[in-house]
Amino acid sequence: MAPRSRVEAFLPLTPPMLHTLVALADGDKHGYAILKEIARRTDGAVRLSAGTLYALIRRAEADGLIVETDERPDISLDDERRRYYRLTPLGRKVAAAEIERLEAIVEMARDKKLVPRPRSI
Amino acid sequence: MSPARRRSFADRIFRALVRLFPFDFRSDHGRDLEQTLREQHREAQREGSMGALVRLWLDVGHDFFTTAPREHAAILRQDVGYALRGLRRAPIFALSAVLTLALGLSAMAGMFAIADAGMFRPLPVDRPEQLISISNRTGPPGLSFPDLQDYRRQTPGLADAIGYQAGPASLMVDGSSERITIHLVTDNYFSMLGVPPAAGRLIAPNEGRARGDAPVVVLAYEYWQSRFGGNPAVVGRTVRINGRSFTVIGVAPRGFHTESLVRIAAYVPAWMIDAFSYYSASAPSAPSAFDDRSARRFRVLGRLRSGVSIDEARAALAVTTASLAREYPSTHKDVELVVVPETHARPSIESSGFLRIATTVLIGLAAIVVLITSANVTNLLMARAASREREVALRAALGARRGRLVRQFLTEAVMLALLGVLAAVPAVVLAMRALRNVLAGASAIANLDPELVVNVRVLAASLAIAVGAGIVAGIAPALSACRADLGDRLKSGARAGSDGSGSRFRSALVVAQVALSLTLLVSGGLFVRSLEHARDVDLGFDPDGVFLATAAPGIQGYGTMQRLAFYRSVRDRIAAQPGVEAAAWISLPPMGIIGDLDQVSPDVQPTDPNWRPPVAMRFDVTPEYFAAARVRLVDGRLFEARDDAAGTPAVIVNETLARQLWPQQSPIGRMLKADGDTLEVVGVARNGKYMNIGEAPRPAIFRSFAQTVPGTATLAIRTARAAGDIGPAIRNVMQEIDRDVAVYDVRSMATHLDNGSAFMPFRLGAFMTTLFGGMGMLLAAIGLYGTIAYHVTQRTQEIGVRMALGARAADIIRDVLAQGGRFALIGIGVGIVLAAGVAQLLKGLLLGISPFDPITYAAVAGLLVAICLLASFVPARRATAVDPLIALRAD
Repeated sequence: MAPRSRVEAFLPLTPPMLHTLVALADGDKHGYAILKEIARRTDGAVRLSAGTLYALIRRAEADGLIVETDERPDISLDDERRRYYRLTPLGRKVAAAEIERLEAIVEMARDKKLVPRPRSI
Repeated sequence: MSPARRRSFADRIFRALVRLFPFDFRSDHGRDLEQTLREQHREAQREGSMGALVRLWLDVGHDFFTTAPREHAAILRQDVGYALRGLRRAPIFALSAVLTLALGLSAMAGMFAIADAGMFRPLPVDRPEQLISISNRTGPPGLSFPDLQDYRRQTPGLADAIGYQAGPASLMVDGSSERITIHLVTDNYFSMLGVPPAAGRLIAPNEGRARGDAPVVVLAYEYWQSRFGGNPAVVGRTVRINGRSFTVIGVAPRGFHTESLVRIAAYVPAWMIDAFSYYSASAPSAPSAFDDRSARRFRVLGRLRSGVSIDEARAALAVTTASLAREYPSTHKDVELVVVPETHARPSIESSGFLRIATTVLIGLAAIVVLITSANVTNLLMARAASREREVALRAALGARRGRLVRQFLTEAVMLALLGVLAAVPAVVLAMRALRNVLAGASAIANLDPELVVNVRVLAASLAIAVGAGIVAGIAPALSACRADLGDRLKSGARAGSDGSGSRFRSALVVAQVALSLTLLVSGGLFVRSLEHARDVDLGFDPDGVFLATAAPGIQGYGTMQRLAFYRSVRDRIAAQPGVEAAAWISLPPMGIIGDLDQVSPDVQPTDPNWRPPVAMRFDVTPEYFAAARVRLVDGRLFEARDDAAGTPAVIVNETLARQLWPQQSPIGRMLKADGDTLEVVGVARNGKYMNIGEAPRPAIFRSFAQTVPGTATLAIRTARAAGDIGPAIRNVMQEIDRDVAVYDVRSMATHLDNGSAFMPFRLGAFMTTLFGGMGMLLAAIGLYGTIAYHVTQRTQEIGVRMALGARAADIIRDVLAQGGRFALIGIGVGIVLAAGVAQLLKGLLLGISPFDPITYAAVAGLLVAICLLASFVPARRATAVDPLIALRAD
């Protein structure tokens, strides 16, 4: 298990990096799928460009947040050979830690009535 | 266009865009990136709207042109950090490499500074690229004042043109006077150059155009600072220049100049030309330089109209020239203009050709020094690469690609070179300051002050060369360190650097260094031999035992009679001193930095339509000059007492002029015209050298000093007395007679020749080339020593065995020396071919010596053999000191 300090060294994440890690949270994906996922989940509010995405992937790989995986989900869906990426345990922790950090900020803002609390949970 | 074709076109663009990324990035993600782009493109097409496609293209373009450079920068940061850490871990290697590179790069940076000042730096004025130099090819290079006005008015391609002329003056303020160099400028000088005043105002168009306008002066910023402490209250004050009152109207901007070699202190409107003229007209009726078309004394700069090319301007000026020639056939039929960009006319149009050739040659030699330096650093890097094989193998095993490793090694080499430049800059700044001082000290009258500085342009050029030198030095070691077979070699346990190809490469490097330094040394040797020859050239006068001292009663505002009285009494008093053989005045001694030219025509002009009046060197001398300088008279008589203001203007011509004007006739008693005067030839003097040791026999006239009475003149004294004794004596006499008269440049003729146009170019050439040659030789010796030492280390075991088997130390030493000697001989062989090629280019700069001078080549080759043997001897001795037992155990 990665020590907490090692996880914190990555924080704060840039929004594109956080989105990328979150996009991989529910399964392996290739680059284009990551782009589509982010655009879909944010209703098009966040659109990463291809160059930016691969620069992010490169950094995340070097930092050990994601790895390339050899497994292919279904060869029939995968008409061209491309690389799939998987969130590592470290990547998962880093993403979670970043979200906790953001939550703490949101909580603080709510205490100060900067933003309203949601009416029901 | 079909969708399929459009796609393939888009694909091609995507592929090209992906190429913007670094190699590693591409090989990891290039294919995926391309495919993602294709999918995005396909999707945008499916949407069917033009807007979606346009948005995609804009997005991709913006993304790639920001992300790709960022990726490159990240790698560079990494490599630089890695290189710096590596260098910090090997400080001795780093220091020796940086210092070696600094040596070569300082030679180059220094030459860049010289070239920048002499050929590239634009004048600090408005739109300097539009400025062109306009000069006369035949005769004195300047233009006359009225001609300049005609060119301004009649040439359509020319927006405007200015004229200026430098001259000595004395500026007196609060009772103390100082000798300065001023510019006499046309009224439009500052307005055409488009510079703002630093204080007050500048000379305005139409100001000082008419004779009798108020005398005004504009101070140069630097002179304003040094003489007046930058006090703005000086504007409006009155100063005395050459005895006349002038009102200071303003200060020119900081750093302003149109003269690249001479420091100008003040600017005065051109109408004052008669007051400042170096020679006052001999007869009061003589035309003023202001309206005399044959007085070609103004240096001219024109400004091209925007959109007009220099060729068009040249053609337009030629039309004006032709119309002037029709109007004034007697003076203008020979006029032919030289029109070049201003940067091609520095320091003056006459000397710019020599300067450009000399600078180019010296830059070439400096480049050779840089190459030798790079070779040395290559050697150092090879040794380092050999010791880093394990590290490289480890990184390769961890996934670093070969291209990436090569890039990293190159980054390290380039870092070394850039650090080398940083180390070189202070040295170059000091060297330029020293050179500036040497030139400034050469002559007080010339006021030389070239702007030799290390500026952004020089620095940028030096950095570019450093990057090149780094790559040249680093490429071979980088490739050899990152060889693909490295892993195998490590596994097999081969000893680092013991393979044949690396050692052959290092040997080749040494041979190249020997060859290149031979080239440098031969160039240096040829210049040294040229200087020797220069000193042996028959000058037409005898410089030994002659002393010179310059006095300037004219800039004190003295009239003709007062000046004449001063000159007479000084001469008489000095001539009466014990040990003085002869003393005479001369307007400007030969072989100074400045000289005076006059166009001369005979009484009866030849009928040949192609005949052109010759341009003669002009010297105004007292009769004793011929004895003092030992110039032999071959015909006629010397000047006499009757050749004074009341007598017929007299002239002595030299043999060349006599032959040119009156072939096969006696010139005695003939009349000639020069500088607006009609003169009677009374004598013929032997030919001599006047401005340049290498010059072909050229015409010269000697005029009677008593008839011209120059404002400044130099006393030439022939004496057996020592310099330390006669110098103060001359000064005392002049001061006793008139303490207000400025006396300067008291020197022996030998010093004058050394600092003047006679030997200065040869001395500078010899100094620079031997300096470069010495650097090259030193570096080659270090390289050779390193390589031989390396070879000896490789052979330690073998030597140990031989010693154990009874070989004598002398045999081992002979063996090692033979290896060094082989390098030397091959290097010399290659070098001689190379040097002969380079020497061809030097031909125009050498004097009295062939570029293939066998003595020079032999001496340099001998020197290099000796250096090589010496560099081999130390490791050879060390080899014999090896204890056989230890040597055998070492492996």
